Amino acid sequence: MPPAGGFEAIRYKRNLPARGPGGAAILLGVTAVCGYGFYKLGLGNLEKRELKREKAWSRIHLVPLLLAEGDRDIYRREQAALAREKEIMKDVHGWEAGKSVYNNKNYRPRDTIVVL
Amino acid sequence: MATYRPPGEQSNSPYIDPTPLPSSVPRVNELGVTSAPLKSAAFFIGAYCKEYNEDFMLCKQENRNPAHCLKEGRRVTRCATDLIEKMRANCAEQFEKHWQCLELNNQEYYPCRKPERVLNKCMFDKLGLTKTIPGSPAGQKQVHEVEKPIFTGVQK
Repeated sequence: MPPAGGFEAIRYKRNLPARGPGGAAILLGVTAVCGYGFYKLGLGNLEKRELKREKAWSRIHLVPLLLAEGDRDIYRREQAALAREKEIMKDVHGWEAGKSVYNNKNYRPRDTIVVL
Repeated sequence: MATYRPPGEQSNSPYIDPTPLPSSVPRVNELGVTSAPLKSAAFFIGAYCKEYNEDFMLCKQENRNPAHCLKEGRRVTRCATDLIEKMRANCAEQFEKHWQCLELNNQEYYPCRKPERVLNKCMFDKLGLTKTIPGSPAGQKQVHEVEKPIFTGVQK
């Protein structure tokens, strides 16, 4: 039989103190930190694009200079090769030194660096 | 190992054609500047030698034959030599510091903003040349002028 006045209420609820910020606050905080991070990432991407542009233009400005120097060297070696060819083939009748093997007037870089 | 070795000395050394340029081509001294000083001076070369550079590139567009644009090429080299000489006469110390910094930083501009700003200021004061990057967004500071950039060297 139950005691007089009934049984005591059963204590089933968790009895822990609420500590720290609530769930909503944590979610908001994490979102804010992520948002700031993505904002900085976006700024960084824009800056990276500009750095690439800077690098590209620094090279573009140097192209004519380097090309001119290379062209002079190629021209010098081509003239030397032509002179060699003329000397070697001087006895061959009908030989045109430096004539392209292609029926095309466009310039074509040499396939061989030097023929000894 | 870019030292000159006379051909035939070693069989595995690269062949260097010793024949000089034909005398019909006027002689011009090559610039002979290594990559870091060139990179340091690139934007000033672009500003100072704009006409010669554009003339040369338009000539190259006409014809790819190296013999076609020798005259324009000589002008380009003379102009660049002239600029480097002026830089060394007017801003030698700043120039040296900037290209040494580039040399130590993998030849990237962004870790070397401090010496670069000093050099840019000197170049503007002495020679009136400014570094401008074509195609940068209008109404904003260009990358080399940003006060607090995001990308800096690892070490401050």
